[in-house]
Amino acid sequence: MLRKLVRSRFFLPSGLVVVVATAGLLAFGPHAGASGSPTPTLYGTDASVHHRSTPADCRLSQGQYGQTGTFNAGSPFHTSIRAYEHGCLVLYGSPYIKYALPSSSLIPEGDLLFQTYCSTCHGPQANGPYGIAPNLQGLGPATVDFWITTGRMPAQSLRSKQAPEKTPKLTPHQALAVAAWVNSLLPAAPFIPHVQNPNAANLADGASLYTLNCAACHTITGAGDALAYDTYAPTLHNATITQVVEAIRTGPANMPRFTGNLTDQQVRDIAVYVTTKIQKPQNIGGWGLGGVGPVTEGFVALLFGVGILMLVCYWIGDRS
Amino acid sequence: MSEHGPGVQEGFEGAFDGEENGTPVPVSLARWDDPHMQVAARDPKKTERLIMTCFVVGILGVAGFGAVFWVSPSPNYYWLYGLTLGVGFFFLGFGLTAWGKYLMPQGPFVEERHVLAGTDEERDAMAAAVVQRTDVVLRRRGFLGALLAAGVAIFSVVAVFPLLRSLGPLPKKSLFTTNWRRGSLLVDVNGTPVHVDSMVVGGIQTVFPQGPYRNDPNQAAKDQTVLLRPNDSAVATGKDLPKGRTKWVPHGYIAYSQVCTHLGCPVKLYEEQLELLVCPCHQSMFNIRNGAVPQFGPAARPLPQLPLMVDGNGYLRAAAGYDQAVGPSFWERTTHPEWHW
Repeated sequence: MLRKLVRSRFFLPSGLVVVVATAGLLAFGPHAGASGSPTPTLYGTDASVHHRSTPADCRLSQGQYGQTGTFNAGSPFHTSIRAYEHGCLVLYGSPYIKYALPSSSLIPEGDLLFQTYCSTCHGPQANGPYGIAPNLQGLGPATVDFWITTGRMPAQSLRSKQAPEKTPKLTPHQALAVAAWVNSLLPAAPFIPHVQNPNAANLADGASLYTLNCAACHTITGAGDALAYDTYAPTLHNATITQVVEAIRTGPANMPRFTGNLTDQQVRDIAVYVTTKIQKPQNIGGWGLGGVGPVTEGFVALLFGVGILMLVCYWIGDRS
Repeated sequence: MSEHGPGVQEGFEGAFDGEENGTPVPVSLARWDDPHMQVAARDPKKTERLIMTCFVVGILGVAGFGAVFWVSPSPNYYWLYGLTLGVGFFFLGFGLTAWGKYLMPQGPFVEERHVLAGTDEERDAMAAAVVQRTDVVLRRRGFLGALLAAGVAIFSVVAVFPLLRSLGPLPKKSLFTTNWRRGSLLVDVNGTPVHVDSMVVGGIQTVFPQGPYRNDPNQAAKDQTVLLRPNDSAVATGKDLPKGRTKWVPHGYIAYSQVCTHLGCPVKLYEEQLELLVCPCHQSMFNIRNGAVPQFGPAARPLPQLPLMVDGNGYLRAAAGYDQAVGPSFWERTTHPEWHW
């Protein structure tokens, strides 16, 4: 039997396939529980390029927009609470909002996810070398977490002026993993926010702060508005409270950053106001018409209200 | 609602369907079997049932309004008040109108009137009598007429007084200057001074000059200034600004007047990556790189820029006041000798 097999003309190609497959599995395949060294990725083999594990490298940088200065509210060195682990800052904040660093155990998973979903545009080092996507180093984990959990990234089309909000492609856990890995390249603030005691927020202050800072672009009802040159301020009706705080502190895309001048207490007031009064408005009239504004309401009143009245008047006066 | 005459006949069913009833019949000549006396409905029984249904719905509506009022729901259910009352009124009215249109004699009826004008002799006699009497009246009561004329004349003079006194003080210099001076400390809406390290790159804040006028809304309305720390280093060094303004932008901060030069709305929409300040009212867009020159929209003049400096403790202050009047144009604006805008 064996002699027949060896002598058949399928022996050589099948043997080559077996040999190559085995070699490939040994070199690139999944390994169970490698301790001390990270999981090898599908792209590239040099582990030291993707992952730093020494504590000295977790020192916070100034970041891309100077977000770790002592004077800006929301900076780690402006707040009263700070917690360290193995010499690395892992938690900072105030009694109102706590910012936590994603666990470093997520970094290998984040590395793999990033290389799979993000590196074609942002580059394997997340520094945007191709000119089609920006440099993500030094932006802080909150930035990455915001863009992924709102579904804006991975971007569907490079031609649109502004990445729209859509169903997220990665789960929240995966988003944290990617954020952890990107942050490990160049650590910076802000970390992932966790709002403390949202029920204790002052909604009146939140309303006046929202009106002063946010309503100009997002409108007073949070319905979003068109801006210049194909950009727009998105609606706030789908945002979670964490996403609101992340957006305020990181200022995604065209949105400015409010890290310097709004304290954590004020940011909490705004975020709770958005998730309560704006997302669950009290439409006393029954139908909010999307909260878009007086033009819509006038249109509906004229078309349906006055229209029906006109028809009724025509009917009343009609000779039967 | 029915404008047809009296003499309602109940349920007279005949073969006429109203086509030959376009010409009105005099009321006095209409009799019970006249086709004008028929109801307009083709099937009065069905129409009656329909109207009955409308009335029942209307009763449910207004009774429902009472029930909602009794229950007093939370504000999320206030729309029930409107719904019940609206449905009730609508259907009661609809039924009543339908009753008048379809279940009443369709007519049309006309009532002849006698001539109202008098005979020629009567008219001539009346005219002569009026003329004769009026002459006497005016001559004998001339004094009354003079007093009335005096009252009207005095009122017409006095009516001008509110126009002169109650229009408020003239703005005088207040339109030309704000409260910003050299050394004015920039404070935010709560009165906190702005430190040069406190705003991150890409941030925006509304600032006012520190002082007692911060709480006066009229002063704050013209003092309001938008403070930016743009992301682009070219914008931050101010190399595209008009001549002489490179020292106005320390540490990458730029400050412009927030009062739109079109019609005065606060220009607060900041598009960071497009380097634009957009006004929400009429969408004037100001390019912050070259001194807030309008790039789109109805504004004709750039936003005035506030020169900034950093004091010894690191707080931002104004290096001078605005070099021109802020806000929309007004008549005397161009007559100031130092301004070119």
